[in-house]
Amino acid sequence: MMKHLADWLPLLAHGALQSAKMMLIAYVIALVFGAVLMLMRRSRFRLISGIAGIYITAIRGTPVLAQLFFIYFGLAEMGLVMSSWQAAIIGLGGNSAAYVAEIYRAGIESVSRGQIEAARSMGLRRFQITRLVVLPQMVTVVLPPLANQAVVLIKETSVASLIAAPELMHEARDLAAEFYMPLELYLLAGLMYLMLAFPLSVLARHLEARLRIER
Amino acid sequence: MAHEQGIDLYLYIIRVLATGAWVTIEVAVGSLLFSMLVAAPLANAQSLGGPTVKAIIRVYVEVFRAVPVLTQLFIIYFGLATLGLKLGSITAAIIGLGLNGSAYCAEIFRAGIEAVPRGQTEAARALGLRRWQVFRLVVLPQAVRMVLPPLTNFSIQLLKNTSVASAVAAPEIMLLARNLVNETFLSPQIYLSVCLVYLCISLPMIRLAGWLERRTGAFESRQ
Repeated sequence: MMKHLADWLPLLAHGALQSAKMMLIAYVIALVFGAVLMLMRRSRFRLISGIAGIYITAIRGTPVLAQLFFIYFGLAEMGLVMSSWQAAIIGLGGNSAAYVAEIYRAGIESVSRGQIEAARSMGLRRFQITRLVVLPQMVTVVLPPLANQAVVLIKETSVASLIAAPELMHEARDLAAEFYMPLELYLLAGLMYLMLAFPLSVLARHLEARLRIER
Repeated sequence: MAHEQGIDLYLYIIRVLATGAWVTIEVAVGSLLFSMLVAAPLANAQSLGGPTVKAIIRVYVEVFRAVPVLTQLFIIYFGLATLGLKLGSITAAIIGLGLNGSAYCAEIFRAGIEAVPRGQTEAARALGLRRWQVFRLVVLPQAVRMVLPPLTNFSIQLLKNTSVASAVAAPEIMLLARNLVNETFLSPQIYLSVCLVYLCISLPMIRLAGWLERRTGAFESRQ
């Protein structure tokens, strides 16, 4: 194994970098699309809030692998052909967006109505209330679960290897097939995921502990 | 069997997906039981054991939670086979998903045990109850209420994770769906049907989790 390590490590490290890149892009999509979904969910129009509600429930009730297969193979059959990388980013981002929307919603709902009414009666405008009263408090509630979602996302990128998207697990499978040393290679891949995910989960817990004291 | 046409073809697809759904449920229930069985002693040791035991369990939980379940499945199915330990794909799936889940489950159990105020266990001890009586009569009934909502959410996660077992050739719904697509080329219809099947199982569970959460919330505010 030691003599192969020099060959493997650069390839696995490259795969880990691609996983991190995939996760970051999907995370940004999730943060933005999640906000849109949350706003839709809170809309006064039944139709709009209904669509967002169905989307969120459907995503949360089905595995990300089934969603990826539908996007990559299903949509291609219907004429919308994407690369596996694009399908992975859209699938993972769209999946996390549903969870992020729920995180935002919990954040907004954590600010008590009384505060908003008080701010109103003091003469603040709607936008000022959002900026000065709701957002600062929402951030403290929202940050820890958002960091947790990043941990979930980095692990979910591994599933993208099943639609042959180029990332760490895909690299490990290629090497395992070539050298026929699956135990060593998948353990190494696991170690690399650990190095990617562990700092994030430490951050999540740190935020949780710190922000709880502040409240 | 791609030669079947029209309604027969659809009936064939439904029959195959139903078979897969059953295996999915088997794998989900099997790994849930496996998780709980491993997690229960871990959680107990975490709240009662010495610092070394606590540290070891901490590492176990952190490692299993930071590595993707797909990687863990591949280590167990492909990796252990090279050491001579050849597991069937369903067995490997239940062990892999179960070990992965045990880390989450242990945290849920621990939170449940720790949610019971120390004063209560001390009072029960002072009243002359033995250690296991305190656990059975005081801690457990309250811990169960605390544990049920997160455990339901965990089960939903586990159900969805079973789809990954298709990658180690466990004949659950995702794998059978892929085979069907290869036979019929009806990928949008088949993958949407698969999502519907998952929803049929997970939606009642999502509802149940929400109901349990509200109930536990009411229980907590009464305390």
